[in-house]
Amino acid sequence: MISNSIFMHPATLFILGALLLPILKRIHISLQKVILVVIPILAIIQIYHLPDSFGITRYMGFDLIFGRVDQLTRVFLNVFTIMALIGTIYGLHVNESGQHIAGWLYVAGSLGVTLCGDYLTLFIFWELMAFASTFLVWYRKKKRSIEAGFRYLLVHTAGGLILLAGIFLRYKNVGMEGLRFEQIAVDGATLADYLIMIGFMLNAAVPPIHAWLPDAYPEATVTGAVFMCAFTTKTAVYVLARAFPGFEVLAIMGAIMTLYGVGYAIIENDARRILAYHIVSQVGYMVCGIGIGTAMAINGACAHAYAHILYKALLFMGVGAVLEMTGKSKLSELGGLYAKMPLALIFTVIGGISISGFPLTSGFISKSMIIAAAGENHQVVIMVMLLLAAVGTFLSVGIKLPYFIWFGGKKDSECKIDAKDAPWNMTLGMAMAAFFCIALGFKGHFFGYNWLYDMLPTAVHWDPYTSYHLSETFQLLGFTGFGFYLLVKFLKPKPYIALDLDWFYRKGARVFMWFASKPINAVNEFADNVWKNIGIAFTMLVARFFSWFDKEAIDWVIDGSAQSVVEGGNQLRQIETGKIQQYIGAAVLIMFVILLAVVLNA
Amino acid sequence: MMARLITYLRDHSRALKYVFFAYLVFTIAFDYFAERHVPHFFGDSIIGFWAFFGTVGCLGMAVVCKGLYNNWLHQDEDYYDK
Repeated sequence: MISNSIFMHPATLFILGALLLPILKRIHISLQKVILVVIPILAIIQIYHLPDSFGITRYMGFDLIFGRVDQLTRVFLNVFTIMALIGTIYGLHVNESGQHIAGWLYVAGSLGVTLCGDYLTLFIFWELMAFASTFLVWYRKKKRSIEAGFRYLLVHTAGGLILLAGIFLRYKNVGMEGLRFEQIAVDGATLADYLIMIGFMLNAAVPPIHAWLPDAYPEATVTGAVFMCAFTTKTAVYVLARAFPGFEVLAIMGAIMTLYGVGYAIIENDARRILAYHIVSQVGYMVCGIGIGTAMAINGACAHAYAHILYKALLFMGVGAVLEMTGKSKLSELGGLYAKMPLALIFTVIGGISISGFPLTSGFISKSMIIAAAGENHQVVIMVMLLLAAVGTFLSVGIKLPYFIWFGGKKDSECKIDAKDAPWNMTLGMAMAAFFCIALGFKGHFFGYNWLYDMLPTAVHWDPYTSYHLSETFQLLGFTGFGFYLLVKFLKPKPYIALDLDWFYRKGARVFMWFASKPINAVNEFADNVWKNIGIAFTMLVARFFSWFDKEAIDWVIDGSAQSVVEGGNQLRQIETGKIQQYIGAAVLIMFVILLAVVLNA
Repeated sequence: MMARLITYLRDHSRALKYVFFAYLVFTIAFDYFAERHVPHFFGDSIIGFWAFFGTVGCLGMAVVCKGLYNNWLHQDEDYYDK
C-alpha cells in the first residue's frame, strides 16, 4: 500500500526520471531526450488517476499526508504538468543532464507542495523547490548568475525559516491538528498564521519581499527561466488560496503588487527583467483575488494562475529564444530583428496580447474574472488599481517589449545582429504555449467541454464576453496603444539599471559587513590557528578519499562533466563553482531521496 | 514567408496608422451601443470613459515611472559590482 503511494505520487515520476537521466545519457544521448518527453506526458495522464487521498503515513508521531486531491489542487496539477512538458521540450536541445535534473526536481517540489496535506510535508517540498531552482540560476555559469543564485538561495532560506517558525508556533498553540494544511479562519488568525503567511508571501514575491525575483530570474539559464517563471510564484498562489482566502491584507497587497511590478516594467531595460517584474504584477492579481475571497475571486485567481503560467512561459521562451540566438537581452542593444526572427516575434506577441487580456486570448477570460469580482464586492479602489495595472501591462509587455526587440525604428538592413529563428524544439515549445493562450481565450470550448472553467474550484457563473466588457477592453487597450504612439521616444529604454529594494541587502549588507568585519576577523584568526594545527591533516585524508570517489564513481554517472571542466581548465572560477554545484546538488538530492524513502516506509 | 509579410506591413506603417486611428473611433462608437450592467461606480455610466482612463493612465504612469527613474532610481549597470 505504502510503496504504491510512492509510485502514485507524480513527484516520484520526476525524481526517478531525474535520477535516470545521467545514466541514460551515458548509454545514448537520444535515450535522454526520449525520457525527457515521456515522463511529463506520463505525469499529465497520472494526475487524472489520483485518489482523493493517499500516502498518509505516521512518522515519529506526526501524520504526514503526501497526497490530498480536491478541486483546488486539480487545476494547479494540470497546469504544472503541462508546463513541465512544454518547458522540457523547449530545453530539449540542452545536453547537460544537470540542468534537466534541476528543472525536474523543481517541478517535483512544486507538485509535492500542491498535493501535500500537512505543513511538515509542505516544508520538505518547499525547500526542495528552493534548492533545485537555485541551480537553474547557477547553471548559467556566469559570475553574475552565481552571485544572484546565492542571493536567491539566501532569501528563500530566510523565507523558509519564517515559514518553519510559523509551523512550529502553530504546533505549539494548536497541537497536532494545527499541522493539517487547511483553510485558516480570518477571525482566529494568530501570529503563527501570519508568520506562515509571510513565508508564503515571500515566494509569491509580494513587495517589499519581492526583490529576489527580478534579481534572480533574468540571470537564470534560458531554459531555466522558463521553468522558474511558472512554478515558485504559482505554488505560492496555490498555498495562499488554500490557507488564506478572504484575508483583506492580501487584497490590498495584491493590488499594490500589480502596480509596483508594472511600474518597474515600464522603466526596465533588460527584456527578461521586464518579464520578471510582470510576474510580480500578474501574481498581484491572483493574490488580490485570494484576498477578496469570494467564490468568483478565488476562481479568478486559479484561472489567472493557469493562464498566466502559459503566457508568461511563452513570453520567457520568446525572449529566451532571442537571448539564445543573439546573446543579448537588453532592449537598448536590440531592435530590427523582425525579418531575422519572425516566429519568435509572432509567439511573443501572442504572449503579449494574452497577458494584456485581449479578447480571444487566455488573459481576457481570467484577469477579467478577478476585476469583476472586485467590482461585485464593491471594492472600487482595488478594481480601478487592477484596471490601471492592465493599462501598464499592455504598455510595457504588449507593446514596448516586442517593439524595441523586433522593431525599435530600425529596418532589417540596419540591424547588425546576426540571428535566425530558434531550433525546432524551442519553436515547438512556444507553439504549444501559444496554442493554449489562444484556445483558452475561446473560453476553452473544446467539443462542448469548457477546458479551464470546468476545472476551477467552484462552478463558474461568469461570462467575459458581454458587450460592455468587450467595449471596456477595446477602449483600454486601444488608447493605451495611442499613449505609446505619443510617447515612443520618451519610453526608449536606456542602458541603465533601476534600483529596487534588493539594494538593502546588496549595498546595505556591505555597510553591515564593514562594522562586523573587525570582531569576525579576530575570531577568524583564532580558528585559523586551530585549523592549521589539527584540521588540515584530517582534511587531506578525507579529500584523498573523495577525490577517488569523485573520479571513479560520481564522474561515471554525471557524464564526466567534472573531468571535462577540469580538462577545460581555462577558468579557475568555473572549476570551483562547477564543483560546488555538483556537490550541493548531489547532497540535496541524496538527502531528499533518503528522507522520502524513510518517511514512506516508516 | 512570415518575414516577408511582417516586412510588408512595416513598410506600410503609414496605412497601419490610419487603420489604428479608425479602430480608436470604432471603440468609442461601440461603447455607445454596448449594453451596460449595473454600474460599480460613476465611470461605468459615461460613454468613452475607459478611452479617457486608458490614455490618461498610460501617459500618467509613463511620466511618473520615468520621472522616478531619471531622477532617482537609475544607476550604471555595474553599480553593484563597484
